[in-house]
Amino acid sequence: MSVIMSEEIEEIPLASSETSYNDTEKNDIFNREFMPHINSMYNFAFRLTMDEDDANDLVQDTYLKAFRFISSFERGTNAKAWLFRILKNSFINDYRKRSKEPSKVDYQEVETTYNSEEAAEVDHTTDLRVETVQDMIGDEVATALNSLPVDFRTVIILCDIEGFTYEEMAKILDIPIGTVRSRLHRARNLLKDKLKVYASSMGYDTDED
Amino acid sequence: MLLDMHSSASASENNETRKPQKQYCEHHAECLKKIQAVLDGEASEAEKEHFRVNMDDCLHCIKMYHLEKCVKESLQAKVDKRLCPDNLVQAIKAKLNITA
Repeated sequence: MSVIMSEEIEEIPLASSETSYNDTEKNDIFNREFMPHINSMYNFAFRLTMDEDDANDLVQDTYLKAFRFISSFERGTNAKAWLFRILKNSFINDYRKRSKEPSKVDYQEVETTYNSEEAAEVDHTTDLRVETVQDMIGDEVATALNSLPVDFRTVIILCDIEGFTYEEMAKILDIPIGTVRSRLHRARNLLKDKLKVYASSMGYDTDED
Repeated sequence: MLLDMHSSASASENNETRKPQKQYCEHHAECLKKIQAVLDGEASEAEKEHFRVNMDDCLHCIKMYHLEKCVKESLQAKVDKRLCPDNLVQAIKAKLNITA
């Protein structure tokens, strides 16, 4: 399983049937169902691109696409998940290749390193202490999060920051629920490793009790 | 102790025959997955049952639970949430001729 890096992916979720809305209905859907999620969308875009200008462009592109393909959206369904999926796909197609991320890692490489059967079964323990994490400020946690490869960062943002269910994440990312669970598990192990390294560098006490 | 569902876990246990708490969990990789599913509200009945039956006896798992919970809460509460700039909202609406 890998995210397609070199080919365009379908950006708009396929609907079982398309609905023809008039202009008033389109405006109503846009204002009542799409706009309430714009802060979450911007935050997601910023955490993906880690750049304000790119986040602006990504959110704008996503909302323009959402409006253009509004007939594919079924009124009253999960607009937030629908929009997040479009944004994520736009990011992969349009922004990822020119991302300003300092340590861009090809997903296949990450899979090889962290997703192999061997890696999955390796005992993972960290002597990171609860008290150390409690003492950290938001910027320190965000720095560790931002240092993760984007696919691992994405699942943590969707689950722990945006509160999506595994089923919603599976739809947004277009992967099976089992893959959501395993990717989340590995992402969290990586994050704890990053927090541990950061804590040690900052002189936090990370020794086991 | 750890979760509401936990309170019913040991109701029938005899404290005198209860095993001492383990310092190390040989299954901790699998237990960690179950702990994360519980904290995410996504655990299956089997995973909840495993959690109920085993958690009180394993210090290693209890520590993992508290660390996972702390990291998750830190992500939710401490990481700054960026708000969409007002001018971007206006620009999007203007491009689409959307009225408020």
